[in-house]
Amino acid sequence: MKTSKILAWASLAVGLIYFFVPLIGTLEFSLRMRRGAYSLDAYSTVFSDIQFRSTFGFSMLMALFTIIFGMLLVVPTAYWVRLRLPQMRPVVEFITLLPLVIPAIVIVFGYLRLYNSSSFIPFTGSTQGTNVLLVLSYMTLSLPYMYRSVDTAMRAIDVRTLTEAAEILGAKWPTILFRCIFPNVMSGVLSGAFITFAIVMGEFTMAALLNRPAFGPYLQLIGANRAYEPAALAVIAFAITWLSMGLLQLVSRFSKTAPLRP
Amino acid sequence: MSFLVLNNIKKSFGQTQVVKDFDMSIEKGEFVSFLGPSGCGKTTVLRMIAGFETPSDGTISISGKDQNRLKTNQRNIGMVFQAYALFPNMTVADNVAFGLKVAGKPKAEIDTRVKEMLKLISLEHLAERYPYQMSGGQQQRVALARALAPKPQVLLLDEPLSALDAKIRVSLREEIRQIQRQLGITTVFVTHDQEEALSISDRIVVMNAGRADQIGTPFEIYNRPATRFVASFVGTLNIIEATVVDPAANTVRMGDNVVTLRDSIGAMKSGDKVSVALRPEAGSMSDTAKGDTTITGAVISSHFLGSVIRTKIDIGGNPVSFDTFNAPDVVQPQPGETLSLRFMASDLLLVRD
Repeated sequence: MKTSKILAWASLAVGLIYFFVPLIGTLEFSLRMRRGAYSLDAYSTVFSDIQFRSTFGFSMLMALFTIIFGMLLVVPTAYWVRLRLPQMRPVVEFITLLPLVIPAIVIVFGYLRLYNSSSFIPFTGSTQGTNVLLVLSYMTLSLPYMYRSVDTAMRAIDVRTLTEAAEILGAKWPTILFRCIFPNVMSGVLSGAFITFAIVMGEFTMAALLNRPAFGPYLQLIGANRAYEPAALAVIAFAITWLSMGLLQLVSRFSKTAPLRP
Repeated sequence: MSFLVLNNIKKSFGQTQVVKDFDMSIEKGEFVSFLGPSGCGKTTVLRMIAGFETPSDGTISISGKDQNRLKTNQRNIGMVFQAYALFPNMTVADNVAFGLKVAGKPKAEIDTRVKEMLKLISLEHLAERYPYQMSGGQQQRVALARALAPKPQVLLLDEPLSALDAKIRVSLREEIRQIQRQLGITTVFVTHDQEEALSISDRIVVMNAGRADQIGTPFEIYNRPATRFVASFVGTLNIIEATVVDPAANTVRMGDNVVTLRDSIGAMKSGDKVSVALRPEAGSMSDTAKGDTTITGAVISSHFLGSVIRTKIDIGGNPVSFDTFNAPDVVQPQPGETLSLRFMASDLLLVRD
């Protein structure tokens, strides 16, 4: 075997060990709550904790709203930019990338300054208002992933020609959007949705500083006060992320569009 | 009164005027091709008929009804795109039914019409397939059926054959023409392929830099090109730069040869430059060939192309190509050899710039 091949396999093994050993360690530790035997006690404690259920449910709800409203914002925007304002594409791409370079804590401090209870738009003045602000902030955080996945799906189907084809057959805007465009970018929409779901389920900064009972702050709270449960929660969080990634792969495989012909 | 009338159409994008004073009347049931190179404005005119672009000036009317104020989805026009543009999430049958469903037709009527259309393009057996499961030629036939299903008043074809391979292109263009004749639908076809335009059109509009250089039947366009551009774009016409010798006698000089033109040059002066066109197939090397005019020049090159021998001779600095049919006794000219080319004076066409 050539030296370069041995080196390639060795670097792959180092990478896998670096990635999997902590995971296996965490999993193994999460199973050792009962002395002298492996058990699922840590998981059962976590699942029976009412706070786990309420924070998990809250984050799920927030993720759902983020996906719905995020897509209602992103799909028409990406569509409109591709169709009518292609010259604005670099600007929109730049804006959607901003959440990646501006730390979440900076964004949330900005929100608190702008939308506090004594401002013109007092989102934080009520629980519902703060929840709305949290959804809006999650939408901001997931913008880079949502926009890109939808935009890529639109690039694959030649949105402009499909729109014109539908239009000349007599279709109006709602028909064009919901019967011709949306079903064909569904794989992109769902990809964006799963990534958003994974982000929202683990997000800490926004929820903690807006003082909302989300899953991220709960993870932190348990991590600071318990021994085995945080390991179980970390495994659960990983499972959620991997499930999302798996669904993402599944969705792209069942897409009905073939690659564009040259 | 003509069915589709384009009256003094202009279109500008910013400072660039892409369509200039375009006038055209198309009769009901006519098949008209817009022929020209990329960027000549042919697709822009088509898109203005469809309603995707708004004319900067001028009017478009169909059957006497002004179309400028109507949106694309109100015009009842069918269109086939170069990139097929079938809806990837719908089956062939659903694609064909789309326009009918949008129009709110009853289900029974839709089903009958879809079957009728699929029979027309001979793809009844592929009704449940998705576009990605079909070849390019099949997809384009479905696109044609989809465009025809709602019984449009005009059919627009935007380079529908460009993305297909040569063999499919020829068979599909014949199929399109046959369907068009069968349905009697007024059709506007955009292409940059002169053979395509010549073979299937009732009339051709040769476009150059936003203007219609010539409008005529394929025969007229090929045999009597009005401008130098039409002459060079359609076919492989020889353009010979000549000098007027005697305007009254219509004689011009091409190198050492003085020939008489059929077209009048009476308004010109002796010594003026004129462009004269000659088709490669018009000339012959044979002394016994039909013709009343002979020009002589040195052979530049000669290539055996199978069915023909293409020879290029130098006439006063102008390379002039002509074709000779292959035969067992034909002698291929050699470079440097002096050769006489015989043709009818009526084959020499005066072309304006």
